[in-house]
Amino acid sequence: MTNSVPEIRDCDLMFVIGSNTTEAHPVIAMEMKRALHRGARLFVADPRAIWLTQMAEQHLQHRPGTDVWLINALAHVIVAEGLYDKAYVEQYTENFEEFSALVADYSPERSEAITGVPAEQIRQLARAYATTKKAAIFYTLGITEHTHGTDNVFALANLVAITGHLGVRSAGLNPLRGQNNVQGAGDVGAHPDNLPGVQKVADAGARARFEAEWGAAIPTERGLNLNEIMHGIEDGSIRGLFVMGEDIVVSEPNAARLERGLNELEFVVVQEIFPSETARFAHVVLPAACFAEKDGTFTNTDRRVQRVRRAVPPPGQARPDWEILADLARACGYPMPAYATPADIWAEMARQSPKLAGISHERLDRDGGLLWPCPSPEHGGTPTLHVGAPMRGKVLLHAVAYRPPVEPTSAEYPLVLSTGRVLYHYNAGNQTRRDRGPNMKFSSNFVEMSRRDAKDLGVADGELVRVVSRRGQVEVPVLVSPRVRHGLVWMPMHNFATATRTNLLTIDKGDPITGTAEYKVCAVRVERLGA
Amino acid sequence: MADTLTIHIDGQALTAQPGESVLQVAKRNHIAIPTLCHDERLDAAGCCRACLVEIDGQRRLQPSCNWPVSQDLRVSTRSPRIERHRATLLGLYVADHRLDQDGLPVHTTQGNELRTWAETTDFKRLLAIDSPRHPRGVDANPYVAYDPDLCILCARCTRYCDEIEAVSAIQLAWRGAETSIATAGGRGLLDTTCELCGGCVDVCPTGAMHAKQAPRFEKPGAVQKVRSTCNFCGVGCQLDLNVQDGKIIQVTAPPPGETVNDGNLCVKGRFAYGFVHHEDRLRQPQIRGADGELHDATWDEALHYAAKGLLGVRDRHGPNALGFVSSSRCTNEENYLVQKLARAVFQTNNVHQCAAT
Repeated sequence: MTNSVPEIRDCDLMFVIGSNTTEAHPVIAMEMKRALHRGARLFVADPRAIWLTQMAEQHLQHRPGTDVWLINALAHVIVAEGLYDKAYVEQYTENFEEFSALVADYSPERSEAITGVPAEQIRQLARAYATTKKAAIFYTLGITEHTHGTDNVFALANLVAITGHLGVRSAGLNPLRGQNNVQGAGDVGAHPDNLPGVQKVADAGARARFEAEWGAAIPTERGLNLNEIMHGIEDGSIRGLFVMGEDIVVSEPNAARLERGLNELEFVVVQEIFPSETARFAHVVLPAACFAEKDGTFTNTDRRVQRVRRAVPPPGQARPDWEILADLARACGYPMPAYATPADIWAEMARQSPKLAGISHERLDRDGGLLWPCPSPEHGGTPTLHVGAPMRGKVLLHAVAYRPPVEPTSAEYPLVLSTGRVLYHYNAGNQTRRDRGPNMKFSSNFVEMSRRDAKDLGVADGELVRVVSRRGQVEVPVLVSPRVRHGLVWMPMHNFATATRTNLLTIDKGDPITGTAEYKVCAVRVERLGA
Repeated sequence: MADTLTIHIDGQALTAQPGESVLQVAKRNHIAIPTLCHDERLDAAGCCRACLVEIDGQRRLQPSCNWPVSQDLRVSTRSPRIERHRATLLGLYVADHRLDQDGLPVHTTQGNELRTWAETTDFKRLLAIDSPRHPRGVDANPYVAYDPDLCILCARCTRYCDEIEAVSAIQLAWRGAETSIATAGGRGLLDTTCELCGGCVDVCPTGAMHAKQAPRFEKPGAVQKVRSTCNFCGVGCQLDLNVQDGKIIQVTAPPPGETVNDGNLCVKGRFAYGFVHHEDRLRQPQIRGADGELHDATWDEALHYAAKGLLGVRDRHGPNALGFVSSSRCTNEENYLVQKLARAVFQTNNVHQCAAT
């Protein structure tokens, strides 16, 4: 997030796109509700009529995968009606000519034909957003889980920049991270292109610092991203795998194909807290401590580094992941330093990472969370980014043209399948599936379907159906719902049973830059059982 | 916005911002005013009458939580009249509450603000009142329960449910002495708009709204609170793990105003901690044997087997035949070590965290 969570309650306008905030980020949704209670305006763009749309002034119900058409049309109105911040554009952006020439083709009327959103709604949102100072944009995986996910983000960033909503309190561009430490895991280098501290592998200076710190050479080429590793497993170029704390055969797309690849691997190490689906493929299973059983830090969605503290001992012989990892490196013959606590590990990382150098466990224990960049022990952290001027000097406006999703519907697969989260379960479900409450709300997978599609198919609410894609099929009950439109079906990503995993259906094509797969759009058909 | 104002509380000149209440200014200046229905996150209700003060020019005592500041406003928070009011009011509350053997409101695990007030203030002993307050009917929800005997009708829970969580699942119902907290049609919470966030439990000053899973009447000090960060979504809510005998017995929110979540939590963060002590947890390293099954092993065996297996792949096919999938569920320190393992030990940049796709 360019801005911080506590700023949300002071927003005057919120544009939420591709985020089911009340279910995926309930506590951020509470901040949004507080802003609404104060009189803020809310606009929601989502293919489903999620609860947030009922609180909103306008629901822009666009067709899945047409985000670039919608966002560029908003930019079109802002540019055509002269509502952009001319001084900001002049001083702090570049490439405005190419960008404005591109969006000139994205008129609200043409957008309506493709997105299904009335042109007038697009105009109203564009005008309201451009003319409100404290106007913030929020997005989640509805924007990024596409083969054009990066384009979606660029298009949103353009809106923020041309209206001067950057570096302003209670405004900005705010991705809501889906997991507790998505932000941090990338920040500290669990990334094929980045070393710890958000420094590029290609940066010779950063590489040299860590090579000196570690006493080992670092390869200069970027590595494979997760999507590429999964494809490598499938095509045989990856032969050995180490997996810590992810149930990949649940959470990765096209699960059946991945399982076939995993069966062929020569060696698989799984480090986990539960006997996950992925552990079925492991040659070694290492039992780990969960968050309540170890010390360390998580970095949340607003770049806030906060402490995690051991409250109870791990079960049996399970050990904290950091201890296991250090011992595994030693077993490989590498002289891992003798870390007394995770504070020593943080210190080793932070002293080579200028953006994180001011943060230490000691400081977090004393002051609570700190938002990076925090370059020195005297620095108070950075709640709002880009204040005064954009960090890179000028915002580069990307002229992004629409690209359709990779798998269009067809006569054989006439419905679009989109996936997401429900409030009561969490990701692969290994934690929440074992708790009573979530199961009382949702105990099996299901497919959400419009009344019209259910009627056409001749199925009633709760009836078991078969959902079929080019990659797999599952049998789940139908949830007839006004939340989805004709032509769209929706399923949760959580694992309720091995045979009904939603990711047996999804497509494994990824965004060309990030590798993030298109979980939000693939083509399926739904069949009556016994028909 | 207008400039700052000056008001006088108990003769003391204090600076205030337009829009603030007398209570907010008093609190900031450490002037004690008792409150029961007040919560910074909620609109002022002025319904518990505990915070009444004398305002110059007003015939009656007025609620300080709901009285906006104005230039040269004169307020007094202590006077014989206010003391008399508080003694009677507190006496009424105590008379309609479950008491322990000391004659004070019972202590609950989550505290009891009425008891705290009664411990420090003289109050009138009145005959016990037995209000016919409606109890909740059968409610299968696993998390939230309501005990009408401890309810003081401050409406913090219903206002939280309206204003913060905005589901309006619970409401004040019935009239007079029968007034209670109820759902539409008396339904169980699972059959209402409730999202089981448990905010009603957290804001309850007396423990009338309580967590079903947790022991209710633990003495102070019997439960240890460990501040940590929630392990579910990316909001980074701060929470207190309540520990007794090496087990988490409850999760509570830190007080509002201190943390990123401002005292709020959701159903997962507050209630879905059962996995921590679940019987399915992995307890022992395991190695797959020639029979294709996983067998228990020692740590030494498992780590050396893992090292040998990964080094073997590297030696046969080169470092880039290895993939390291790291976890956005794990800590920064652990993710750092995974990439260090990949880069420094195995010489590959094939390392990515699981949330990347």
